[in-house]
Amino acid sequence: MTRADGLVILLAILLVMGSYVWLWTPATPATQVRVVAGDREIARLPLDQPRQLEVTGPAGITVVEIRDGAARCAASPGSQGICQQAGWLRQAGDMAVSLPNRVIIEVLGDEWAFDSVNY
Amino acid sequence: MIHRFERRTGPLMVVLCLTLLLSACERPEIHRDRFIAFGTLVELNIYTSDRELVARATESVRSDLEYMHQTWHAWEPGPMSRTNELLSTGLPFSADPSVLPLILEAQRFYKTSEGLFNPALGALFALWGFQTDDPQGPPPTPEQIRAILEQAPSMADIEIDGIRMRSHNPAVQLDLGAYAKGYGIQQAMAHLRDLGVEHAILNAGGDLLAIGRPGNRSWRIGVRAPDGQGVLAAIRIQGEEAVFTSGDYERYYRHEGERYHHILDPRTGYPARGTRAVTVIHHHAATADVASTALFIAGPEHWPAVAARLGIDKVMLVDEAGVIHLTPAMEKRVTFEGTPTRRITSLP
Repeated sequence: MTRADGLVILLAILLVMGSYVWLWTPATPATQVRVVAGDREIARLPLDQPRQLEVTGPAGITVVEIRDGAARCAASPGSQGICQQAGWLRQAGDMAVSLPNRVIIEVLGDEWAFDSVNY
Repeated sequence: MIHRFERRTGPLMVVLCLTLLLSACERPEIHRDRFIAFGTLVELNIYTSDRELVARATESVRSDLEYMHQTWHAWEPGPMSRTNELLSTGLPFSADPSVLPLILEAQRFYKTSEGLFNPALGALFALWGFQTDDPQGPPPTPEQIRAILEQAPSMADIEIDGIRMRSHNPAVQLDLGAYAKGYGIQQAMAHLRDLGVEHAILNAGGDLLAIGRPGNRSWRIGVRAPDGQGVLAAIRIQGEEAVFTSGDYERYYRHEGERYHHILDPRTGYPARGTRAVTVIHHHAATADVASTALFIAGPEHWPAVAARLGIDKVMLVDEAGVIHLTPAMEKRVTFEGTPTRRITSLP
């Protein structure tokens, strides 16, 4: 094996490892929260700064809470509390939705575990 | 001297120009957007380097789904509710072209599902309180349910001749909720293809249709656990494939400690029992939508026969005990997050 052969093998290994990281990296912790009300994005905030946001929609007020690198739907109109049941959103792609109030709370990051979630 | 310099730097300049040219090209990536349309959360993922195409495609999906939602809505004023009014008269009328193709296809699915998919039972869905955006109950009395079932409204009661339509049963009230989403996603995706979109996932309320693939890999789909605790399984899809799930956790209400979900068994008039969720993969989204509902109602014992009739070979059913029933074709496509109890069942 020549030095050139070794170089080619090394490059091939690096290529395979790089592809693995590029294609298969699991979900990373989210860094931002995006809040959509109706058809409009109304806020995009970092998750490392604690704060509370009140979003007014057609059914009332949805409260978004940001703390400890996560966000959650702390309160929202809707008799079943579906928005609140989503809990703390930490991984990129996690979301909470209030359909009656037309509010989407989603956290964003570099990598998502799944391209889409079926339910 | 100058000539020799040009000969040496020439190739270098070509490489430099090519590098600059390539760096100006954007690398394809997945563009995600989430918005509310069709009365639910919609997520559109498009794999492309063309940002203008993404903007056009997103606008197209928004307007398509909003139009369909308004047109096919079972209980808000529009062409479908007008069709219901006319069906209840028993007199012939000219069907609205925006709803006729759906009704024709729904008749076909009614037959192949052996009546488990019966969108003519709109009155039963209304009676249970599921024709509202925020169902709350209380559940109907057994006498009220029996009164509707005795009239036996079905898709077979609707006579269609060209564009002329009439119902031979005044109890027929159409509610295409178990099917319109699949049909709508299919139409919206066809429109995206016309715009030039080649690789995309359109997810409406958790049910999705994918085309193409993002680069050199398959699309990665997570299937949410029926108890809402994370992801039950991962599925890889590529090419045109739809993944639809019907679950007892999607729309329900509690009354006096009892939980009532929205997937009603047309044979009993009550929420279907024995199943928590059914996931189906099929190339046709409307078929996948109908099948997931029909197989949920068929239950853990009878779903294989119904799946065979509907031509569905990729099925995953989670029963009340949490046991996962899979067809051999589905087993090849699914990777589980944990080690749930599994049962492989071949179709007859």
